[in-house]
Amino acid sequence: MAINALDPTELARLSSMALRARVIVEGAFAGLHHNPSLGSATEFSEHKEYAPGDEIRRIDWKVVGRQDRYYVKRFEDETEMRTLLVVDGSASMGYGRHGVTKLMYAGFVTAALAYLLGRQGDPAGLMIHDRTMRRYLPPSGRGGHIREVLATLDTLQPGGETNLAAALERVADLAHRRSLVIVFSDLLDMAGSEAQRNAATATGPTALALSQLAARGHDVVLFHILDPDEIELPFDEVTQFLGMEPGDDRNVVVDAADLRASFAEESAAFRARWRQTCLQAGIEYRLVTTQEPLGGVLRSFIGGRGRTKL
Amino acid sequence: MGVLAPSLLFGLIAAVVPYLIHRLGRRPPRPQPFAAMELLMAAERRVRARHKLRELLLLLLRTALAAALPLVFARPFVERDSNAPAMALHPQSAVLVLDDSASMQRTLGRSTPFERAREQALAISRQLPTGSAVALVLASHGNAAPIAELTLEKSRVADAIDQVTPTAKAADFTGAVRRATTILTGGLHKERRIYVLTDGQAAGWGDVTMPVGDNAPELAVFDVTKGRPWSNRAVVDIEAVPLPEAGANAVAITASLANWGAAAVSVTTSLKIDGSVVAKGLAEIPANGQVRKRFVHILGEERAGLHEVQASIDPDDFTLDDQRFASLSMMQSLRVLFINGDARTTRNEDEGFFLESALQSAESGISVTTMLPDEAAETDLRRFGVIFVANVGEPSAALAGALSQFVSGGGGVLFSTGANVNPDAWNSRLGGLLPQPLGVVRTAATQGAPTSGEMVDERPAEHLAPLDRRHPLLTRFPAGEDGLASARFYKYTLLEPLPDDDSRNVILRFESGAPALVERILATSGPKGRSGRTMLLATTVDREWTDLAIRPGFLPLITEVTRRLGGAPEGGRSAERLVGEPRELAFQGGEDTLEVTKPGGGTWLSRRRGQADSQHVPFTDTLVPGVYHVRAGMAADANRTEDPNRTFVVNLDPQESNPATRAADAGTPRGDGQATRPKHKVPLWHGVAMALMALLLAESLVTLRRRPQGLRGFTKPA
Repeated sequence: MAINALDPTELARLSSMALRARVIVEGAFAGLHHNPSLGSATEFSEHKEYAPGDEIRRIDWKVVGRQDRYYVKRFEDETEMRTLLVVDGSASMGYGRHGVTKLMYAGFVTAALAYLLGRQGDPAGLMIHDRTMRRYLPPSGRGGHIREVLATLDTLQPGGETNLAAALERVADLAHRRSLVIVFSDLLDMAGSEAQRNAATATGPTALALSQLAARGHDVVLFHILDPDEIELPFDEVTQFLGMEPGDDRNVVVDAADLRASFAEESAAFRARWRQTCLQAGIEYRLVTTQEPLGGVLRSFIGGRGRTKL
Repeated sequence: MGVLAPSLLFGLIAAVVPYLIHRLGRRPPRPQPFAAMELLMAAERRVRARHKLRELLLLLLRTALAAALPLVFARPFVERDSNAPAMALHPQSAVLVLDDSASMQRTLGRSTPFERAREQALAISRQLPTGSAVALVLASHGNAAPIAELTLEKSRVADAIDQVTPTAKAADFTGAVRRATTILTGGLHKERRIYVLTDGQAAGWGDVTMPVGDNAPELAVFDVTKGRPWSNRAVVDIEAVPLPEAGANAVAITASLANWGAAAVSVTTSLKIDGSVVAKGLAEIPANGQVRKRFVHILGEERAGLHEVQASIDPDDFTLDDQRFASLSMMQSLRVLFINGDARTTRNEDEGFFLESALQSAESGISVTTMLPDEAAETDLRRFGVIFVANVGEPSAALAGALSQFVSGGGGVLFSTGANVNPDAWNSRLGGLLPQPLGVVRTAATQGAPTSGEMVDERPAEHLAPLDRRHPLLTRFPAGEDGLASARFYKYTLLEPLPDDDSRNVILRFESGAPALVERILATSGPKGRSGRTMLLATTVDREWTDLAIRPGFLPLITEVTRRLGGAPEGGRSAERLVGEPRELAFQGGEDTLEVTKPGGGTWLSRRRGQADSQHVPFTDTLVPGVYHVRAGMAADANRTEDPNRTFVVNLDPQESNPATRAADAGTPRGDGQATRPKHKVPLWHGVAMALMALLLAESLVTLRRRPQGLRGFTKPA
């Protein structure tokens, strides 16, 4: 049976994350004449000591003459881009009534990006966190690292409370060099207060940590992943809603139909706050629902980054 | 309050069903883990109060619905004291006589006596037990009977009572009771009764006599005002007449104002002519008395023709009688030919000196041409409206022929005698025109040398006998101050007696009984459908035989004579009818269409049938007080001319203004006023059913607002 690379539900049926990543990438860029990773920049960036495998034509003979050691030239588009993929693995990411949870969807996108980065030879790392950091694979360009990343994503399970702020602070500590930090989260933190809901922009520790990360020079991308239920509340009967995260014993019995309009307004305001926050901090904000075809999400993201190498 | 089917009230238990469903019938909610609890709870906080209110409202509505349904079937009612008499509790044959006369329209508290009477009539018709036979007769003049035969259908009676509207007609209880008695003759019940629902006014009762005997109906009169006295003020009469002594454009309007109150009142009286208020004045009306308020008004340039006159006073509780209408026709310009049989070179000795002066008085609207008899014989007399033939000795055959032709064409001629007149020549040549043949001259007082053949009377002078004001020409001469009584007559011509004839009227007589002024209406008919008319004054129009010419009454007399001969209407009051009275209208000459314009503006049209010279048609739609303009002409003629003689006025019968009440013991109903008043049931289930429908509608609306709009296809938000 042919796999629709754009349908997350069908992708979920594939056996491994490695396979999913390849299917997504090939499906997303099928028919393109140029590798999307090819940049056009030719500005000199740095020297690198020659290693077997480097092209002989890129040896800088002037440096060899001065220092009697072999160095090859590297240009802007060939500069290593350290990428850290940060995935929110909290219990709330396990919500999904349509066959694909938010965490699964985040895993698909993460795997596809890791696969792409590996093909480019760029070092990619992975951090999975909930209340604490659950797993961390630092960025590396060595062979087999991507397979390790994909294998980790294969075992990804939701659990624990959300503490995205702590994870981002940890990223700031670990990333000494300028890096591309891609965060996948639903941003549904049960610690949100009335004041935060009424503010024009998102406040609180998560927004602060994101802003600080961007302020340090990191290129931060936030994938805001939501289930369609969290946008329109399509239930049509009296329902007892229960909190999902450990320790969240909130439950409310309501006729969902009565709440639909009001909930949609709250949800829209919630998204608008995060969009505004990211805009002010120079963070790329991407709202993604778990029903969106993955190929489109990838093409949009990579195409939107223009000359910047992924 | 009670119910007709109490057992059905067990159905009220169903009212708890919605509550039980609400409390016990809930399905357990489906648990749903949800990540966006923060957003959900914020949304829930926003709608919580509204949601709870709506749920409560729904519960109440459904409970009320469940309770209303058995209530409707149980047919609840309340018992109220009936304003129907106790005598209406037994099966009987009954005629309801509802007073719809004008006085029933006066204000009585927040309603009118008519509304109260109608309510009571409805109450009686409801109260009468099943099997009673009822008819309905109206008390106003004409005694219409909306239900003229006894019927068992109560709903029909109620509908008929509902549809009765008060009129401006006078009450006629005599006719109404007579008609009711006739209807009851065929009644099936031994108990027969006539219920009269009125305001207690005495007017209209006349001589009501009830038959006696075993099956004779009983008369029960109900005063819906409960004897509440009312004081009333009214305009009970109006008279509008030209006032030539004050100028040709002058009119005098006299309104008679009545006060039926215990205290004198001062009222503002307004005079309207042709819709515009032209004068106002205060009038003091004594207690239980009348006063006449007189206005003199000078009409403007549009003086000729017909004028609507209305006198009104400050409105009181009964506004219908606070005004009264009249119409007034003013003479058109008239050309008069004076044939002078005794012309003199000295102006004041001329035969026509006083006559011409009177006719040509300022603003008279009359132009006078003077000719000698021979000249007049050769003149086309059709140019003139009236001809005076004064002291002409022997009228020529040509003059007599011209005059005869003139009268045949509808003209009017006044003949006056004098010393020059040859009675034989007049009788032979003008005999066809003279009202009476001339006889000898009678001398009432010595004046100059006696002439051969004259009878000498030693009395100092002759005066006129008291005026007989029944003649239209004399209606404007006030009694005792007519200005004619003082006139002295030294000589006059005696007239040969003739048998009584309807075409001949003696307008003025001398004290001796001899005719002084005689009128004759000739059967001939002119082109305008007007009969020719002649008058004969048995004395001179100058001072030769009488000093009438210098008396105050001379000017109005000559003016009235001229108007009458000239075909102008008599002036003053047009024909008056009381509301509801028919007016008989006649086609004249070649007319084939009569058009009546009513006060409200509506028109009534009648076509002539057949070729009879005179055909009369009754006009019966005289229900509104005011002036009814009558126009006659040909069907093809769009601009028919108004005929002031046929235009008439409709006014309220003054008897309706009189608040005098009928004697308290007359027709007091048996059993009325007993201690225990009958009860009647007022059904409530109609209201409950309406409430049920309203509840259903409200429940549907609330449910509709609550119902989800359906799951929409998810679209990614911006």
